[in-house]
Amino acid sequence: MLKKIKADFNLLAILLIPIGIAVNFVGFQVAQILRLPIFLDTIGTILIGVIAGPWVALVAALITNSITAIFNPVYFPYVVTSMAIGVGAGLLSKYGMLSNVYKTIVSGLVITAIAVVVSSPITVIFFGGATGNTSSAITATFLAMGQNIWGAVFSSAIITEIADKVVSVLLVYFVVKSISDRYLSKMKYGHLYMKKRNTKSKKRITHPNLFT
Amino acid sequence: MNQNPILSLHPLTKFYFAIFITVSVIIVPNYLFAYAWFPVLIVIAAMAKVAKSFISFILKTLIILLAIVFLMQVFFYPGEDVIGSWWIFELTNEGLLQGLSLTSRILAIGSAFILFFRIVEIKDFVKALEDIGMPPTGAYIVLSTLQIIPEMRRQSNTIMEAQKTRGVETEGSLIVRAKAFFPTLTPLILSSIASTEERAITLESRAFSAPGKKTSLHKLTKRPIDRVLPWVYVGIIIGLIIWRVFL
Amino acid sequence: MTAIIQLDNVSYRYPIGDEWILKHVSLEIKKGSFVSIVGNNGSGKTTLCNILRGFIPHFHKGDLEGTIKLGGTDMSEYQLGQLGEKIGFVFQNPFIQISGVKDTVFDEVAYGLENLGVAEEDIYKRVEEVLSLVKIQHLREKNPFELSGGQRQRVALASIIVMDPDILVIDEPSSQLDPIGTEHVFEIIRLMKERGKTIILVEHKMDLVAEYSDELIVLDKGEVLMQGPTREVLESEIFNTANIQYPHVTEVALELQKQGVKLNFLPIRDSEITTCFKNDGGNE
Ligand SMILES: Nc1ncnc2c1ncn2[C@@H]1O[C@H](COP(=O)(O)OP(=O)(O)OP(=O)(O)O)[C@@H](O)[C@H]1O
Ligand SMILES: [Mg+2]
Repeated sequence: MLKKIKADFNLLAILLIPIGIAVNFVGFQVAQILRLPIFLDTIGTILIGVIAGPWVALVAALITNSITAIFNPVYFPYVVTSMAIGVGAGLLSKYGMLSNVYKTIVSGLVITAIAVVVSSPITVIFFGGATGNTSSAITATFLAMGQNIWGAVFSSAIITEIADKVVSVLLVYFVVKSISDRYLSKMKYGHLYMKKRNTKSKKRITHPNLFT
Repeated sequence: MNQNPILSLHPLTKFYFAIFITVSVIIVPNYLFAYAWFPVLIVIAAMAKVAKSFISFILKTLIILLAIVFLMQVFFYPGEDVIGSWWIFELTNEGLLQGLSLTSRILAIGSAFILFFRIVEIKDFVKALEDIGMPPTGAYIVLSTLQIIPEMRRQSNTIMEAQKTRGVETEGSLIVRAKAFFPTLTPLILSSIASTEERAITLESRAFSAPGKKTSLHKLTKRPIDRVLPWVYVGIIIGLIIWRVFL
Repeated sequence: MTAIIQLDNVSYRYPIGDEWILKHVSLEIKKGSFVSIVGNNGSGKTTLCNILRGFIPHFHKGDLEGTIKLGGTDMSEYQLGQLGEKIGFVFQNPFIQISGVKDTVFDEVAYGLENLGVAEEDIYKRVEEVLSLVKIQHLREKNPFELSGGQRQRVALASIIVMDPDILVIDEPSSQLDPIGTEHVFEIIRLMKERGKTIILVEHKMDLVAEYSDELIVLDKGEVLMQGPTREVLESEIFNTANIQYPHVTEVALELQKQGVKLNFLPIRDSEITTCFKNDGGNE
């Protein structure tokens, strides 16, 4: 098992991690600049899960949140959510759940579910249901309507996550489609997304040697 | 060499201090105790000459969160002991206590780590982690990430500028703005990925995966105080546990 | 001189794509010699370098046929890490050719030695020496990310030279350099040769190739058209038909020859321009 995990971390996979993490940050930044109502800050992690597998994505998530902690350590507990998303994306990819747009949307919903189930307890236990962004207002509304804290946090998490995660997974689906076969062929799950399946002819070379 | 008594401490001594505060406020349930850490941290920040950036950081990142957390507990935490009311909401004593207890801990732990990252060089911290057993690959990933993020930020700005000149709208309705997202991010991802093969070859050319022990020119020094302080933390924690359990 | 590298009937194709990029390549590189690989774009020069350095088949998989020997031992018996100590590789793109984790040029150059576990004092000594050899002392404290293409190219060269490999494989070292920088890089490479290193160079600038190389290997669509001493190759009919640029002097001389000017011999270096016309028959 451990050996198998280690094999996932070949040099190319290792070099993909910083890129994925940077994509998480840049995605968030661009979404802010464009004033989009969603975060789009897990695209890199999902991408890594999809092409390099769950374990590499787990490490990428861990480091992403550690680096975020440099700027704001308070939200570090959500590292568990990010890691779960990465692992989830890896497993979905493994079982062919990103092979077409419809399956990809289903994958987006599955990842939403993962994010909600893992982050809600963190929100309740560490922050008493608040998160410091707009979803707190939604949570407060549910609470005022008489829901209990768990119901309110769950409902508000679903509302804020669903668009973010479905869009993120779809984006990753289209990005992976445009990655070159040359690169994909060297990634763990890359063969699932190559345009040209292994159709290589087995013919030998026919050219005679001209000069020896 | 840095002469500042706080800054010159070993990165792990600083890190363990933040952990120590975290553990202490979990052991001691009293919110006054947790709140008391805050002035202590400000004093340490002042000694390290980072008080200004420390406080402005707290104001920017923590205050709003603390206010929301506090109000939510006060108004919605289930309780019987009503001590006041406002519009449709009831203020309960339990809610008030829960609000104080949660916010005091978030403030203590959050500001402990905010201070930690003000007084440590990330490069030194990574080196320290490597010294206690983090694999060199992990160190490579973190350091290279810190170099790549600003690089990719710059590239994304360039791409967005280029898009504007090519007529891709980055202003306007939500749909219009959302449409600009994909063409900004995709080329960035693809070009970065395309470069990894050559980066891998570069690293191999520099003996990245050579077997055997590596040398490091970047060395951290541990002074006697760095050996003593962690044990002081442990001692205090044990003391607190005993006090909690037996008294 | 003994052969340090021998390729016998080597063919290769990348995992993606049906085409054989190298076809029945056989060649020999003598220890201590300066050999240049020339050929048109896409003829497989970089691929050949990757084979010599062991990145094929260690890193790029694909189909590799034939035998490759390094110092008489089959390549497959070396580990990639071991090869790094024997063969240094400076490749085309200088922008990617930095470790990505060091924030000064000094540390960047030292990185390979750190990985090899060289003692600290030796690292300082060797890095200093190489910085002055490559004339980049003034960049010492700069962040490699902030350098120009030409500066990065020198840093990349320095980072490999400092590791002191027996063989240097250099793929277009001057692509980002101005003429003066280029001359300088070639002087460094010559110095390496004088120190007993074997040099394998890919370069499009034929003036420099003719000036510095002992031997040429001519690649055409993945096949070795010819291998031999520089002058012999440039004088040959085969080179003429390969449609590769001649050095400028040679080109001019060939043009003059066509116009009926008689030459003592075909000049390949600028310095030969005077002697090649000095025949008493005289064309005035
Ligand atoms: N990693 C790879 N995977 C698949 N094909 C490749 C790969 N690298 C190179 N090729 C192909 O192999 C052929 C030879 O490329 P190579 O880079 O060796 O040529 P070159 O002589 O170095 O060219 P240039 O003068 O442009 O540098 C090209 O057709 C190229 O597309
Ligand atoms: Mg090339």
